[in-house]
Amino acid sequence: MSLSDDENDSMSLNSQLPAHLFGDLLDSIIIDVASECHRAARLGLDRNLELEEEEMRLSAEARAMVVDATNNGEVNGKYIVDIFGQTHPSIANDIFECMNCGQSIMAGRFAPHLEKCMGKGRKARLKARRSSRLAQNRSARGSSVSVHSQYSSTSQLSNNTPVRIMKKMNDFGERFSAEISKPIHLVNPLVP
Amino acid sequence: MSGTLNRPPTTEAEDVHEDPDLTLQRIINAKLVESGEKELLKELLRERLIECGWSDEMKKHCLSFARKNGSNNVTLEDLINAITPKGRASVPDSVKEELLQRIRSFLA
Repeated sequence: MSLSDDENDSMSLNSQLPAHLFGDLLDSIIIDVASECHRAARLGLDRNLELEEEEMRLSAEARAMVVDATNNGEVNGKYIVDIFGQTHPSIANDIFECMNCGQSIMAGRFAPHLEKCMGKGRKARLKARRSSRLAQNRSARGSSVSVHSQYSSTSQLSNNTPVRIMKKMNDFGERFSAEISKPIHLVNPLVP
Repeated sequence: MSGTLNRPPTTEAEDVHEDPDLTLQRIINAKLVESGEKELLKELLRERLIECGWSDEMKKHCLSFARKNGSNNVTLEDLINAITPKGRASVPDSVKEELLQRIRSFLA
């Protein structure tokens, strides 16, 4: 489609027309926006929007305030402030009884205590391994009672189940070794 | 082309005094609508205006105007009249240029 037919008019039209058309488009978009807001205003939705904005602003402010306070709090000591403004010590200090060994433990120290208590930590695992190895050696060689009692007294794992089992094995091993170390009396039934 | 055109019936008087420019404008407008280009342009413009925050500005303006004049009984016309001058003025130049460019390329 060409506008070159109308000479004079086309020049002015060409420059005006796009702007005019753009104005048309803009007008219709403005009408759309206005009708949307008109509906919101009539239905009272704009009040809700306003309240929401206020709340968001206030909460953002509060959070900013607390963040500043928190930075200071963390530097000051072990008491830190969370977003609700509550303080709590960084290490939980409720005290209760360990269900395994019966000691009274602080909540914040419970996990490491359990590790040692139940034999999952490095030291406890090594000890368990050592005790089992020793028990095997003892049952094979038939060692005396004194070594066994010395070992059990140095053990820190008082109620530990693996050690109890080891003890039983030690007992058995002792009795067995005692038995086989006795001289064998062969009874000959045919001798009168 | 006039066969495909559905123009609203005009009175005799209007026809006689009608500006040839206006007729041409109408023709072009109709062409735009027919080809669907007008819709595309409108959507493009709407998108650009939302992106640059113009829509939000207009909405804020509308709501503050409504609240000032009693938000329950504000009329649509009032609103439109209130924000049109500001709206036309606050369109960013880049958006306007882009749209004008597209219109010109369509007319060419």
